[in-house]
Amino acid sequence: MTAIEVDHLVKRFGGFTAVEDVSFDVPAGQVAAVLGPNGAGKTTTIEVLEGFLAPSGGAVRVLGADPRRGGRAGRAWRARIGLVLQSTSLDMQLTVAEALGLYAGLFPAPMAVAAVIQMIDLGSDAMTRIGALSGGQRRRVDLGLAIIGRPEVLFLDEPTTGLDPEARRELWAVIQSLVASGTTVLLTTHYIEEAQRLADRVIVLADGRVLADATPDQLRARGGVPVIRYRLPPGKRADDLPAALAHYVDPARGELSLPSADLTADLYALVGWARQNRADLTGLEISPPSLEDAYLSLTADASLSPLMTPSPLMTEPANSQKASWNG
Amino acid sequence: MAETSVTTPSARVATGPGRTPSARRLLADQVRYQILLLTRNPRAMMFSLVIPVMLLVLSSSRRGHLDPRVEEALVAGLATFGLIVTAYVSHAVGLVTSRQEGVLRRWRATPLPTWCFFAGKIAATALIALGSVAIAVAAGAALYHVHLSTGAALSLLLVFILGALAWAAVGTAVTALVSTAQSAGPVLMLTYLPVILFSGGLGSVSSEPGWLATIARYLPAQPIIDSATRALQHGGTGLAPLPGHDLAVLAAWAIAGVVGSVCFFRWDPVRPRHARQPR
Repeated sequence: MTAIEVDHLVKRFGGFTAVEDVSFDVPAGQVAAVLGPNGAGKTTTIEVLEGFLAPSGGAVRVLGADPRRGGRAGRAWRARIGLVLQSTSLDMQLTVAEALGLYAGLFPAPMAVAAVIQMIDLGSDAMTRIGALSGGQRRRVDLGLAIIGRPEVLFLDEPTTGLDPEARRELWAVIQSLVASGTTVLLTTHYIEEAQRLADRVIVLADGRVLADATPDQLRARGGVPVIRYRLPPGKRADDLPAALAHYVDPARGELSLPSADLTADLYALVGWARQNRADLTGLEISPPSLEDAYLSLTADASLSPLMTPSPLMTEPANSQKASWNG
Repeated sequence: MAETSVTTPSARVATGPGRTPSARRLLADQVRYQILLLTRNPRAMMFSLVIPVMLLVLSSSRRGHLDPRVEEALVAGLATFGLIVTAYVSHAVGLVTSRQEGVLRRWRATPLPTWCFFAGKIAATALIALGSVAIAVAAGAALYHVHLSTGAALSLLLVFILGALAWAAVGTAVTALVSTAQSAGPVLMLTYLPVILFSGGLGSVSSEPGWLATIARYLPAQPIIDSATRALQHGGTGLAPLPGHDLAVLAAWAIAGVVGSVCFFRWDPVRPRHARQPR
C-alpha cells in the first residue's frame, strides 16, 4: 500500500517557486528522508503533505486522501497523522504529562501517557513544566505529542535541527523505536548522518526538484571511491613518496589524502614505500565512500548543470519508486 | 460518539479499535487546558485579579469624600476593568503567543474540531473573567457600602457573562491585526484603554463632550459599567432590571467579533517581512 503519493507537485508563493516539480511515493511502513540544502523545497513539500499549504500544481495524497479535505472526514484523517513541526510548538506552561494527556484525549485509540513518557525518556520530568526543559527534551515532547495517537503516517520536519549531538542521538533512538513498530515516516533533514541513520530511502531535493531517489547505500556508492588518509611521519616529505601518491599530499599539512579508485594497487604502493623507507604507518586511515560526498557531488552537479543526466543506478532505485528526473 | 467511562487523561488506555472522543469530553478538556494556561500566566493573573482590587483599595482611602452612588459606579467600573483585561487582553495575548509558538498550527493539524478549540478558549476566558469580577465585587462589598442582593447578583452575572463573551470575541478577531506577542500588548492597550476611560471605568469623566458620551454608549465598555452600576444600586428583591439597549450593544459586539474572527483569524505564525521567502 502507498502511504504518501506526490505527483508532479508545484508550489509557488507569489512570483517565487518553492517547489518546481517533485514526485515520489512512499510505501506504507517505509522511512523516507527528504534531504537537501536550505531553500530546496523540503519544508514546503512536507507542509503540503500535512495539509497546511494547497499545491499550486500537481497532486498529493496521504493515506489515500487529499490532506486539505475538511469536515468530519478530514478530522478522521488527521487522527491517523502525526507531525513534528520545524520549530518546537508547545505550551510552555503545561507539564509534560498534562500536554500528553490533553493530546491523548483527541484520538480514538491513544497510547497510554505513561508509555509515551517512557518512550521519550522523560520519566523523571513528567511533572516538569515544558518551559523548564532543555531544547532536546522539548523536542522529545514534540515527538511524544506526534505519536500519542498511534499515527499511521508521521511527518518530521527537521526534527533535530539545533540540537546538540547527544540530544540528537537520543531523539534518533526514539524515532528508531517507532519505526520498528511499522509507522510510515517522512522526515526532512539537512543532516546526512540523520538520513543515513534513520531512513530506508533518501530523496535529495535541490531548487524544488528531485535530484536523486535511492537507498543510502546506493547514494553512497554513487558518491565514488574510498579515501586513503595518511599523515607523513616527521622527516618524510611528499617528494619521498612514489610520484603517483606524492601528487595527493597536502604539503602544508603533510597529509596524504587519496581518493582511490583501485584501493589494492594504491595501498600496495604505499605499504611497499613504507617498508622500504622504514616509515611508520600508524594513523593510516581508509574511509569508505561517504553519503556526504555523494550528496555534495549531487547538489554541486545540480547547481552547475540543471540538466544532469541520471546514472543508470539512480533511475532504477531498488525499491522501484518513481523518481523524477526531468530536472 | 459515545462517552468513555475513563475520565483522567493518564488513565485512558487504548483497548480495541477505540471510538472517536465525544464532543463534550473534548470541550471539557479544552476548557481545563485553557484555564491552566491562563492561571499559570503571572502577568494575566496580576492584571485580572490583583490590579482591580489594588485600585479599589487605593480609592477607598478617600472614601469619606465619595457619594455612595459614586461608590457603586467605582466598583462596577473596576470590576469591568478586570473583566476587559482578562477577556480581551489576556485572551488575545494568549492566542497571539500560541500562534507565534506554533501551538495553534499544531492544534489545527489534530482531529480537534475548530469550534471546540474556540469554544474551550472563550469559555475558559469567561470563567476567569467572572472570577476576577467576583473578587472585585467582594472587595467592593468589604471596602465600601456596596450591598448585593441575590437578584442583583444574577443580573450582574448575566451582564458580565455577555460582556466577557463580547470582549473575547472581539479580542479573537483583533489577533488578526497583531503580528507578534511583543506587539500584542501595545495594540490591545491602545484599543481598550481609551474605551474604558471614556466609559468612566476608572472614575467618571465629568467634562466629557456630548458626542464622546454618545459614542461610548455604543462601545462595549459603558453598557457593562452602566448595567452593573444599576444592578449594584438595586435595593429590592428580584432581578435588577437591565437596559435593553446595553444588552443589545454587547450582543452586537459579540456577533461582530465572531464574524470578524471567522473571516480574518490566522492560525499560522506571521513570518517577518524580511524572512518571507519560505523554504
